Amino acid sequence: MRVKLWRETEAVLFTLPALIPLLIFWLGPLGYIVYLSFTDWDFMSPDKLFVGLDNYSYLLTNSEFYRSLKVTLLFGLGSVVPTIVGGLALAMLMNSKIKSSGLFRTLLFSPWVTPTVAVSIAWSWIFEPEVGLANLLLGWVGISPIGWLKDQNWALVAVLIVTLWKSIGWSMVFYLVALRNLPSDLLEAASIDGAGSWDKFRSITLPLISPTTFFLSIILTIQSLQAYDQINVMTQGGPAGSTRTLLYMYYQSAFESFNVGEASSIAVVIILICVLLSGVSFLLGRRLVHY
Amino acid sequence: MNMTTLTNQTRKDNSREEVQKRKVPRAGKGFATALRYLLLALVSLTMAFPFYWMVISGFKTNDEIWQFPPTFWPETFRWNNYVDAWQAAPFARYILNSTGVAAAICLIQVINSSMMAYALTHMRFRIKGVLTGLILVGYMIPSTAVYLPSYLVLSELKLLDSYTGLIVSNCVSVFSIFLIRQAFMQVSHELVEAGQLDGASHFRILWTIMTPLVRSSFAVMVLITFIDQYNNYFWPMLITKDPNLQLVSAGLRSFFVEGGAYGLAWPQIMAASAFTIAPLLILFLFTQKTIMQSVNITAGVNKN
Repeated sequence: MRVKLWRETEAVLFTLPALIPLLIFWLGPLGYIVYLSFTDWDFMSPDKLFVGLDNYSYLLTNSEFYRSLKVTLLFGLGSVVPTIVGGLALAMLMNSKIKSSGLFRTLLFSPWVTPTVAVSIAWSWIFEPEVGLANLLLGWVGISPIGWLKDQNWALVAVLIVTLWKSIGWSMVFYLVALRNLPSDLLEAASIDGAGSWDKFRSITLPLISPTTFFLSIILTIQSLQAYDQINVMTQGGPAGSTRTLLYMYYQSAFESFNVGEASSIAVVIILICVLLSGVSFLLGRRLVHY
Repeated sequence: MNMTTLTNQTRKDNSREEVQKRKVPRAGKGFATALRYLLLALVSLTMAFPFYWMVISGFKTNDEIWQFPPTFWPETFRWNNYVDAWQAAPFARYILNSTGVAAAICLIQVINSSMMAYALTHMRFRIKGVLTGLILVGYMIPSTAVYLPSYLVLSELKLLDSYTGLIVSNCVSVFSIFLIRQAFMQVSHELVEAGQLDGASHFRILWTIMTPLVRSSFAVMVLITFIDQYNNYFWPMLITKDPNLQLVSAGLRSFFVEGGAYGLAWPQIMAASAFTIAPLLILFLFTQKTIMQSVNITAGVNKN
């Protein structure tokens, strides 16, 4: 009996160094923010006023919230889909025996390790409307200059370009691994049967790499919900809210308007979206992905 | 003419036909390969171009940088831009802050992730299932969503504006636990039992038997964590107001906004961005195999 008790205690002791910070900085705050979303507070006043569902009903009637939701959706689609498609395309290009593929891989992957803040600053200069490189390139193909970060129709596109630039090499490396693990005899057999490249890609490669696609879509979606650095440096949610994602709105209402209640309710919405996404991906994963 | 020569003859014809059949696609293949190279070279250069642009813009004079069309090679190299930028803000301090904080976090995460992973994979206890589930959920919920309450917690603990706060609040990572757990799951449990029969404690088994076995996973974990924490911006910026405690990203951003007066001193800003990025690119060049290996392991993590 005593041995058993010691065994339990010892195991729990092993988990504590990780568990305590997890409870303090993650699980505790998770509960705390749900509570805060039912209150009205400005960081300063001694009491947190309990207001029930007021923050949520206000949020649901706030057009800024819907706009932000739309931006989040556009940002999610606009970053996840091109990163996956582009990463796969690059991996397919590189997959067959290409010499010095190591060099290409290094160049394509390198943006991923660099600090987002620093590269976003460099990109802000590229998107400079008057003398920037982006407009020079557009001029070469006969397109008139764009205001980029100062134009509410284009600011999100500019932010998305930076996001894509940063992660496309990363997703490519995932696909390189997946493609290398494809059974070559299956592809050869298909060639002998007269299958064209496109047929082989569609009916063999694509289904076999679906676990990677699935995994990347989840991770990239979560990343897109967390995107902050590039938005903060390049546009700060502007112009006219055109790049204000839910996360950015949350940040602004918490640390710029000091509206803790509203901010918390937005955070709860973000968390609910994540829970919903994981639920859906769990169900879909069972049906669609071929392991 | 007997049968054998006849069959030989047909064989020869057949083989000649085969050679010809192969030749046609081969020529096409040569073209396709060339096209692949061209496309890859083009994409790679495009991807690397912003780095080049940053470095050379850092050398331009203020007059030249505002020219249109921009010059692709600086007319005069103003090396002083780099010196000016370096001296305009305490960048050495920022880089040291980033390095120190990231290194401390890596060290703590190696310890607590491996202990947690060991307990989850090779020890038996009641709340194991609950913990595993908790970590799985943690993997899905972005920590950025709880920055507001975490900030309040840190403020209650009187750890805002301190190195301790920067380190402690990042000292556990669900991703790291996952990664090490994955590695430990590959190690046979018999090894642990053998160690126990020899009278070794779990603690000793973990550090003298398990950890050395999965060195490569630790290398991946440490590198990824280091890069993440070195670059970390949002959270450190929230919890530190003291300029002396700023990490490199926040320091660069304040230089961009204040020192650079939002775009009035672009050459210096580009120079500062370039020397902020340089240490990471150098680190990447030397460790790229390990860093890219993280993909293998992360993909493996996902399967469970």
